[in-house]
Amino acid sequence: MTSQAQPAVRSDEIKRLLDRKKDKMKFQLSHCMRCTLCAESCFLFKAHDKDPQYMPSYKVIHSLGKLYRRRGKVDRAFLESIKKIVWKNCVLCRRCYCPVGIDIPGMIAFARSICRSQGVHPDFEGDAQQSWL
Amino acid sequence: MYAFISGPMVWIAFACFFAGLAFQTMQFLRLSQKKELRALPGKPKAKKKKKGKKAVKKKKAWTLAALFAWADGLFVRQLESLRTSLLGHHVVMAGFTILFHILLFVVPIFLLAHNILLRDALGLSLPSLPEALTDALTFVFLLCAFFFLFRRLFVRQVRAISGPYDYLMWLITVLPFLTGFMAYHQWCDYDLILRVHIIAGELMLIVIPFTKLGHMLFFFFYRFLVGTEYSFGQGKRAW
Ligand code: HEM
Ligand code: HEM
Ligand code: SF4
Ligand code: SF4
Repeated sequence: MTSQAQPAVRSDEIKRLLDRKKDKMKFQLSHCMRCTLCAESCFLFKAHDKDPQYMPSYKVIHSLGKLYRRRGKVDRAFLESIKKIVWKNCVLCRRCYCPVGIDIPGMIAFARSICRSQGVHPDFEGDAQQSWL
Repeated sequence: MYAFISGPMVWIAFACFFAGLAFQTMQFLRLSQKKELRALPGKPKAKKKKKGKKAVKKKKAWTLAALFAWADGLFVRQLESLRTSLLGHHVVMAGFTILFHILLFVVPIFLLAHNILLRDALGLSLPSLPEALTDALTFVFLLCAFFFLFRRLFVRQVRAISGPYDYLMWLITVLPFLTGFMAYHQWCDYDLILRVHIIAGELMLIVIPFTKLGHMLFFFFYRFLVGTEYSFGQGKRAW
């Protein structure tokens, strides 16, 4: 039986969600100056030898940013790749500071909602076994 | 060609700049009108009716004392955010960026050459700084700009999130200053450089509202929106 197979991603629904918060999300994405000043304020970035992957702006650009750029036309594999960024690489502690005022945790939380709308979310039975750092 | 780019095109550029800023503001406000959260399904609809003109809004009493307390809290909060923000962590970067942004406005606005053109066109002009000073300040601006460029090129973290677009925006910001500097010193072909300068200046004004340079405007919106302590006001603005 193929009942295990995941349903196809509903791009139109993702698009609708993206449009709903276009004002705050898309505008903020386009006004991120790519200056990395937010990096130092994220403890996960510091805990990973300043690995760029853990910079707040990197996490947003490579999750929500890509969703907007592709206008929601993504597949499940793509959402799975985002899953790691928005759940594992950010704990939504809201400590990041951006001089332009870009609300990184708000955007990461929104990317999580979009993943969840398509049934993509951490499976706490399996994922919780891994180290969070 | 010179007559056009130094005449009508300047007005077109300024019109695009201001109209663009107004348009983007309206766009932002229009998009923010919609409620983000829908009522949960099954919620009684009758409640909505009550929201007539009579709906009693709890308003803070704006007594003078309350106003002072609010202003005081704001001041303390802004001081705290200065300490914990980039001023506290990246002193060098903060210095460069503050200098960069101040000069970005001060130099072209109080530049003698620009004000002469302004007087010719409108019959009025702003006070001007001495030319030797603005020239030196232009040089300082360029130093800051190249500091940003080298940072973007060589710091691993910055490079990880930079693309062609970021370099293009850097160029658009810097070109008016670079060519203005070259024109002032009559390097290369003065006529050519001056034309490039004027076009570069106009280009910059036109693209500001529609690119990431629009942070000049949206900076203020976002700072009201964020809920954390580095916000302006209460950070609860719902627009
Ligand atoms: C929009 C139309 C513009 C016109 C018609 C214009 C015209 C001029 C002229 C005639 C000069 C004098 C060159 C000389 O000394 O021989 C000049 C210098 C200069 N302009 Fe503009 N400009 C424009 C826009 C801008 C903008 C938007 C900026 C920067 C944001 C800018 C920055 C400068 C600077 C920094 C210098 C002088 C540099 C120095 O003295 O070392 N200009 N411009
Ligand atoms: C009130 C106006 C403005 C405010 C409050 C503001 C604020 C900021 C802030 C907070 C940053 C991030 C920190 C940094 O990278 O230096 C930044 C970066 C930048 N701003 Fe502005 N800005 C304003 C106007 C402008 C304008 C008018 C321009 C250009 C035409 C501009 C060009 C830039 C550039 C090119 C960067 C990035 C520097 C880099 O490559 O890292 N800014 N601004
Ligand atoms: S989120 Fe803010 S601090 Fe971080 S890179 Fe973008 S503009 Fe800079
Ligand atoms: S909210 Fe996420 S990105 Fe921001 S500081 Fe916390 S872990 Fe880092």
